[in-house]
Amino acid sequence: MQAVAQLAVDEALRAGADYADARVQRLSLEELAMRDGSLVGADAPESFGLGVRVLKNGAWGFAAAPGNHKDLADVAPGLARRSVKAARDLGRLRRTPVELVPQEGQVGEWYTPVEEDPFQVSLEEKLGLMRQADESMRGRDEIVSRVVNLSLRREEQWQASSDGARLHQVLVRTGAGLAAKASAHGVVERRSYPASFSGNQISGGFEVVRAMDLPGNGGRMRDEAADLCSAPLCPEGVRTLILGGSQLCLQIHESVGHPTELDRVLGHEMDLAGASFATRNHLRTLDYGSSCVNLQADSTLAGGLDTRGWDDDCVPSGSWPIVQAGVFKGYQTNREVASAVDEDKSRGCSRAESWYDPPIVRITNLSLQPGNMSFDDMLADTEDGAIFADSVRTWSIDQRRVNFQFTCEVAREIQGGRLGRLLRRPTYQGNTTSFWGSCDAICSPEHFHLWGIATCGKGNPMQVAEMTHGAAPSRFREIQFIQ
Amino acid sequence: MTLLSADHALEVCQALVDASPADETEVTLQSEEDRFARFSPEGPSQNADRERHWLSIRARLHTEAGWKEARATVGTLDEDDARAALGRAMALAGAAAPDPDRLPLAGAVEIPGSAPHRPTQDHSFREKAEWIEAAMSRCAQAELAPAGLARTTVYTRTLINSAGRVAEGALSRAHFSLTASPTDGSGDAGVAEQTHCDVTRIDVDEVISRAVDRGTRGRNPKPIPAQEYTVVLEPLAVSSLMLFLSYVGLGAEELHLKASPLVGRIGERIFPEDLQLYDDAGHVDHPGWRFDGEGTPRSRVALISDGAFGLPVTDARWARTLDLPDTGHSAPQPNSKGPAPENLVLAAGNESMEQLISGVDNGLLISQFHYTNLMEPRDMILTGMTRGGTFQIQGGKVTDSVCNLRFTQSLVEALKQVTGIGRRQEIVGALFDGEIVCPALRLDGFRFTSTTEI
Repeated sequence: MQAVAQLAVDEALRAGADYADARVQRLSLEELAMRDGSLVGADAPESFGLGVRVLKNGAWGFAAAPGNHKDLADVAPGLARRSVKAARDLGRLRRTPVELVPQEGQVGEWYTPVEEDPFQVSLEEKLGLMRQADESMRGRDEIVSRVVNLSLRREEQWQASSDGARLHQVLVRTGAGLAAKASAHGVVERRSYPASFSGNQISGGFEVVRAMDLPGNGGRMRDEAADLCSAPLCPEGVRTLILGGSQLCLQIHESVGHPTELDRVLGHEMDLAGASFATRNHLRTLDYGSSCVNLQADSTLAGGLDTRGWDDDCVPSGSWPIVQAGVFKGYQTNREVASAVDEDKSRGCSRAESWYDPPIVRITNLSLQPGNMSFDDMLADTEDGAIFADSVRTWSIDQRRVNFQFTCEVAREIQGGRLGRLLRRPTYQGNTTSFWGSCDAICSPEHFHLWGIATCGKGNPMQVAEMTHGAAPSRFREIQFIQ
Repeated sequence: MTLLSADHALEVCQALVDASPADETEVTLQSEEDRFARFSPEGPSQNADRERHWLSIRARLHTEAGWKEARATVGTLDEDDARAALGRAMALAGAAAPDPDRLPLAGAVEIPGSAPHRPTQDHSFREKAEWIEAAMSRCAQAELAPAGLARTTVYTRTLINSAGRVAEGALSRAHFSLTASPTDGSGDAGVAEQTHCDVTRIDVDEVISRAVDRGTRGRNPKPIPAQEYTVVLEPLAVSSLMLFLSYVGLGAEELHLKASPLVGRIGERIFPEDLQLYDDAGHVDHPGWRFDGEGTPRSRVALISDGAFGLPVTDARWARTLDLPDTGHSAPQPNSKGPAPENLVLAAGNESMEQLISGVDNGLLISQFHYTNLMEPRDMILTGMTRGGTFQIQGGKVTDSVCNLRFTQSLVEALKQVTGIGRRQEIVGALFDGEIVCPALRLDGFRFTSTTEI
């Protein structure tokens, strides 16, 4: 397949391209979903194809088609010519030519470290584990639905570029989760473990699922979902908020990850996803958060869903600060946009959903660095009436990534330095820099966990990408709650 | 050319049904040709000339305790790949527990066939470049930064099962959108879009004019307090709200799980009588697939009529469970998602946009909502932000541009407060999946809960 990628690049150059890259990708998934003990989803999709991208006279062209090891070599020349034609047909409208920052041709291989190949674990064992998880949620009349998900993904990619890149990568991620939905007193509530929307995904093998202990947590989710139906609504007003890691994952993603994608800042995403308040004049000057807020981008992070050897521009992975001691320090870039902030190297954030899609700038792994407080000490240090909330229920943020409103699955009122009564539908709102500026404490490394986002949508037509956000519970002062 | 002829697609599917060792087999082949050009302030920024297939095999094994079933999908038409997929489906089905609620596959049906719309299929990058050039030119004259999408896509889908069911059809879609932002950052962008199954029906000039008008008038917005307002929602804004009824809420499964606005409300007259919502895959300007994920013909379903919610949409399984007719709204099975409407049509009223606006003494004209999401399923409480042009209406006239606001509002309660329905329907989408055919609406008492600076 490496030869096919190279063939596509060579054919594109022969057709007149000034630059070309090609990705052959084979994507295999296994998606299992169990509801109330029955297997309601069992799919094993596979996709195999070639995407060819060129620059001609400063304009992009891209073409893609499916195939496999038998016929992609036959498909490649035609795709190369089509991509050059697309660039030619549209290129006359470019006001300024696309220029890529330099990148030495990379040659190498990269494999996700896997202890236990998830595709080699027997179906019987996987389904047995799911049944145990399902069983653990039985036992309360209020429960109207028990769902267990298990998801495996293996992405094998061969890349070549006219800069001399020849890359082979195999990325494996594994995920699982459970959710109990309760209905009582005219109220519907859901609790999910370890995270909402099909659980958590981590780069690695089946050891990821074993470590989750789904059966050991189903009973707690069942009881919390049922009890939430008779719990009071989280009250309105201004209060201290402690966010758990799985909700912080979304907070990082929406209010730091997306606004620091440089293509958004430059207007490339204005047609659908929107722009960003974090414009270039704010770089290295804006107080994005309080001094305890450090957010590090890292596409080398062990377990990260965007942990790989190279991005789809064939740029090696790396680590750099986005927010350091509260100050806005960096963007996520690709080879096309990096020069807009006077950087001579891309940060390596170019990714496509699959061979079918042209790459765009994507959020990489982006984590809130841990602080030094234990969770118990944080609770003990927090006044009565403060709220602990976790697990995403719903979210919304404006197109500039300033005004957000998030609702969690569960909250508990803090009383006497401990977690107290359950509160349902905690909904908090704010604006991005004020929110991060109100952060005054972050829990220590032993409370730091990785939370995967497997369905980040961006682009137009929309593409899905995966990335991870690490976080430990953190405290925010004077947060507005609404009902 | 990727799309297969109907005969060729049937042949591919039938060969797999014949080769399957399963007790029952269903094969679906969907093919897609897509050509898009995206543009941003510097011109065309991204494009693709691409094609793909999904060849999906559903294998079913019968046991005394019920059916065991699973699915595997492959993205090529290679015979070895297809047989490997059949093997994966068989392995998954073999490991599944029997489900006594699963029904045998259903047999032959009559479904009208359809073919891709040739001018839409053949629409070239050069033609898209003409659309984009016109948008860039008009935006430059108005000191606005353009961004948008020109796209044409054609799909074919064929489904065959071992019980004798054969269904096939095609869809075509053309789309042009423009977001026009003040280059000096003095306000939010103006937004407009059109979608149609016939590329020749896309009125590029109208899209450009509307976006440029909104972008120009949206400069220097003034802040207003977050409170309840009477609002006139243009179709793009209506879509952000109404499409949630296709994501969640109007399917039989959600009703059964008591996570639906239908709970306790079916047949109760709570909405204005002229508010009529249908699911209609046969809409002449925006047709959907005429058969569902199991090959059952899609019925036209009245979801809101005579001021009341109607019955939910169903699939074979939920129709039997709830003793309702099968309306043909199944996802491909097996699936963790229940039946859902995919082709919403909100009936037109009789008011022009001017009449809708003239009926507002103090309110807002809203072009679009951004990132709307669901907070609560029973009352369909939604939150989202205004975008793409928000204007004050005073004394029945549109006056100032205003800063964007966040709403937090029950959709059920909002629809009770509809006081006017536009006479012109548009085909519009939102940030998430799907499109709806809908007119503008005027609603009283729409609740806003926070504001922004632009």
